[in-house]
Amino acid sequence: MNITVLYGTESGNSELIAEDLAAKLNEDHTAEVFDLADFDPNNMTADKFYILVCSTHGEGELPNTALPFWDALNAAAPNLDGVRYAVFGLGDTFYEETYSHGSEILDKRFTELGAKRVGEYGRHDASSWDLGTDLALEWLPGVVEAFEAETVS
Amino acid sequence: MSTTPSVAIIGSGPSGCYLAQGLRKHWPEADITIFDQLASPFGLVRYGVAADHQSTKAVTRQFDRLFERDNVRFAGNIRVGEDVTLEQLQQAYSVVAFATGLTQDRKLGIEGESLPGVFGAGVITRRLNSHPVVEEGPTTFGDRVVVIGNGNVAMDIVRFLIKRPDDYEGSDINDALVESYNAARAKRIDVVGRSVVADAKCDALMVKELGKIEGVRFSTAADCTVPEGADRATSGRIEAVRELNELEPAGNVDTEVVFHFGYAPEKIIGETSVTGVDFTPTTSAGEALHIEAVSVIAAIGFELQADASQMFGNDVPQLTATPETGRFGQGLYRTGWFKRGPRGTIPENRADAKEVTDEIIADVEGGVITTLPSQTGFAALPESVQEKAVSFVDWQRLDAHEQATANAGRIRTKISDHAQMVAIAKNN
Repeated sequence: MNITVLYGTESGNSELIAEDLAAKLNEDHTAEVFDLADFDPNNMTADKFYILVCSTHGEGELPNTALPFWDALNAAAPNLDGVRYAVFGLGDTFYEETYSHGSEILDKRFTELGAKRVGEYGRHDASSWDLGTDLALEWLPGVVEAFEAETVS
Repeated sequence: MSTTPSVAIIGSGPSGCYLAQGLRKHWPEADITIFDQLASPFGLVRYGVAADHQSTKAVTRQFDRLFERDNVRFAGNIRVGEDVTLEQLQQAYSVVAFATGLTQDRKLGIEGESLPGVFGAGVITRRLNSHPVVEEGPTTFGDRVVVIGNGNVAMDIVRFLIKRPDDYEGSDINDALVESYNAARAKRIDVVGRSVVADAKCDALMVKELGKIEGVRFSTAADCTVPEGADRATSGRIEAVRELNELEPAGNVDTEVVFHFGYAPEKIIGETSVTGVDFTPTTSAGEALHIEAVSVIAAIGFELQADASQMFGNDVPQLTATPETGRFGQGLYRTGWFKRGPRGTIPENRADAKEVTDEIIADVEGGVITTLPSQTGFAALPESVQEKAVSFVDWQRLDAHEQATANAGRIRTKISDHAQMVAIAKNN
């Protein structure tokens, strides 16, 4: 299976999680990691599985490194029919109203453009002091399974 | 000659840790040591980020991995210029990078500043974070306090002045200080900043957080209309201030906070101690302002600590000389606030550390830096330095002790005596 792990980050936590997920995935699959800042949304294809790891900035906004991707995504509005992705969102319940909203912005847009989210929506809460990687690695097998189930059917 | 450098990073705050991350990624085998003058790592995250902002401090979970898994060495309890000279560091390491930050409160530079009753915000923040090397100060500030500045540090100070001990659930605040302050709380706090609301430096989230604290009435006479074309951060801030102004206070109101935007301090009044502050308007619409006060807390930014000269002798690098580069000498680099000045949040300094990482990589690979066989890193330092250093495993012992001895409702109780920190860390 060919997997692209994309991350959008402010403090580096999402990057670390993305790298840990890719390392784990590379045990059985082929996974590549990209900062959203260096990834062109026009390159998203239906034969790959995308895992998005994205934090939340300020008042429920996208993190800094996701902004160029967001602009490109809106400018090109590529047809993402057949593209499947999973989301692991980072946020902080200290800011209740906007908790984990950063990743949700991209999730919503992906869906609007025709892509389909598979598996459970993963979340990490900075207020919990849980290690994001621990939660993400627990979450990973479920979404991989969900993707595989999709491909078979 | 090797193309893998040995790297000494001075300062284990976020900038130093981000730099180590970048360099480790490029050179998995390099000897990388992060030095700190304290027995504890993480600098500003532990002592500058407010004690009630634990989710910001949680970035240390990311940095832990440098030391636990990625083989970056922590050498705490080592002061450059005292325990080890810069020359000794350069003999042992081919790259020496300073990430020592800016910790000294910037002075107001006005008459009356040296009167008793005038304090710097950084000192108070460090005391609330139980910093072991900080000047003594009072625990109470009188009935009326003027906070000068309207950035996020000023908001941290306002939060401290209006919170009660019960409001620090889940933090690692210095309880003795908070309780002592609470016994003689400020009744009125005037927060005065040079900027108008649209240009103020504080984030909307910081303003909104104030509104969640009970027993406080907030007000401002400032114009809170959002100007046309304002960006999201600006309109968010203005809205947040307006909401605070319109907020119906919860609980028993015994504290008043008044925000004044667009006033610069002109003179602190008082004969034997502070009695008030005179301000001049920064806009043509404003009028002169006099505010009575028992204490003044200045939160107008940070500058280079006076003892930085100890590290460099007379050649302290200028802060603004070459901000576009991290290099300031052969094999010498800097990153973070010590390079860019006191601006930007932790993520912005991550971006800066990445730039300096790239610069170091280019210099090493371009042959600007050669690593001598004798520059093996930590092992090449004098034995006395190696022995004095507090390792990461040592720190974890202190960390566990602080967590195990936490007061009720707190996640840790920090040891504020440095000799004791070292003793617990080294299990002496």
